[in-house]
Amino acid sequence: MIISGTHLSKQYGKRKVLDNVSIGCAAGEICGLLGANGAGKTTLFKILFGLVTPDSGSVVLPIDSIKPIGGIIEKPALYEYLNAFDNIHLFASIQGLQLNKADIAGHLVKVGLPTNRLDKVANFSMGMKQRLGIAIALLNNPACLVLDEPFTGLDPLGVSSLRRLIADLAEREKLAIILSSHIIEELSKLCHTLYVLKEGKLVNSGPAQQLIADNTNVYSICADNIKFAKCLSAYQVEFKGNCAMVTIAAAEVPTLIQLLDKEQIYITSCTPELSMEKLFETNF
Amino acid sequence: MQSLIKAEIIKLFKQGKTYYALGALLSIEVLILFSAYYQGTNIIDLLLENLKQKFYFEGTLLNGNLLVYLILNTLWFHLPLILMIVVSGTLTAEYKDRTLQTIMLQPVSKWKFILSKYIVAIVFTLMVVLLLAFSSFGLSYAFFGRGDLVVYLNGLNFFDAPDAAKRLQWSFLSGALSMVFFSVASLTIAVIFKEATKTWIVSAFFLILSNILLKVDFGDNWFNQLFFAKLNDTWQYFFYYTINWQQISFNSILTIAYCIIFMGGGIYWFNKKDIG
Repeated sequence: MIISGTHLSKQYGKRKVLDNVSIGCAAGEICGLLGANGAGKTTLFKILFGLVTPDSGSVVLPIDSIKPIGGIIEKPALYEYLNAFDNIHLFASIQGLQLNKADIAGHLVKVGLPTNRLDKVANFSMGMKQRLGIAIALLNNPACLVLDEPFTGLDPLGVSSLRRLIADLAEREKLAIILSSHIIEELSKLCHTLYVLKEGKLVNSGPAQQLIADNTNVYSICADNIKFAKCLSAYQVEFKGNCAMVTIAAAEVPTLIQLLDKEQIYITSCTPELSMEKLFETNF
Repeated sequence: MQSLIKAEIIKLFKQGKTYYALGALLSIEVLILFSAYYQGTNIIDLLLENLKQKFYFEGTLLNGNLLVYLILNTLWFHLPLILMIVVSGTLTAEYKDRTLQTIMLQPVSKWKFILSKYIVAIVFTLMVVLLLAFSSFGLSYAFFGRGDLVVYLNGLNFFDAPDAAKRLQWSFLSGALSMVFFSVASLTIAVIFKEATKTWIVSAFFLILSNILLKVDFGDNWFNQLFFAKLNDTWQYFFYYTINWQQISFNSILTIAYCIIFMGGGIYWFNKKDIG
């Protein structure tokens, strides 16, 4: 594991915001932390970053690195009165990095930001700020990247482009990446491993697809003529426009898709409708 | 450490509010200069009605030196107030914009970061006082010329023009030390309160309280000698006939000690508390 937090607990006054939580992430792995607002995700991240001291438990980070961990908490916090170049230059200089203009441009390109924007960061879109925040987080080559709610406030195009960037960083740079979100769809498309937090407790964890399959018994299958599919009569189905909400076990889905294909019903999407109630039930 | 100090200087001078503060201070100075000119005429006439008939005064008594002295008298309230807002703002803005969090996510030592803020606050304060000193002398001498200085401190004290200029320069230097104390105190208040409005209210309260306590006579005891509020009029000691260098040195060392105590407390508190 590149990063691991073991038996972490934190209490503010009488409220226990984190209760005996353990989490870990290996090189090239993307871990998702799922939880409703107030579940303790941000507190857990602040502990991983060393911003908040846990009441108990420990965090292990690579010791041979100047900057073992980089990331963004909540939303990217940048000097809005400076431009992107000056922001990177300032954050680099305080950690002892002397970057010239070409180096800074390289960092901007790496996260997909234009190098010709010389106006203040205050004028940037949220997606651009997220990218700049990631560029700053990646200064000094940390082995682990932690992103708290990285998709919040982004338009669909921004979400998909940021998702690609995160996947690239894990695959190419072999970064251990931990993401948090309260939206399962975002995490399921990206993460290898999922951790589910509820009221400060870790209630579920495991390989993301396995966890989704185990907690899904309804799939939304969409096609133009889905209503005429005869093979669906064997299942409990609810139609919503061009989609059928089919109650079915994960293992039977490939067979059903084949049957639909034989009936010349060409599906446009098949999305697991995760049972959040089941996922958030305590499994430990 | 050097790179942290450099970064703090860049942040301070890239923000518009720093220039608004400097603009405000210079405007106040010009305002004081002209109101002092009109007020000064009445004061001089009243004080010297009889003396003018018996003594010869070189040049006009309403001159640049008197105006610099009058500016000094009024500046020591406006200046620390604006300095405290700017200096405390260097930290409260980082809390508000959460850039402090971004900095602390980098491999940066907490105590070095806050120490660099204190160092830049001190340098900025000295720079502002220097700027005001130059502009006060420049504007006063340019418009009203040089001349002898008459000051009322337990009686009328007269200084010839060169002596007056020296004493005014020393008093700017001494006043700068008091300003550094208020800047350091405001940064410590910002460390404790984090939020801008609370910090400003407490800083303004601290300044007003210091000014009130300065006027209160606690008698001739150790408290009157050592209490920080009592050190803020050390600059006035330069306008007695005989300059009490021993007292001035003692007060200056004590002010520096207070600065170190406030700074040490702020660094300790910042280091101890969680960020966020």
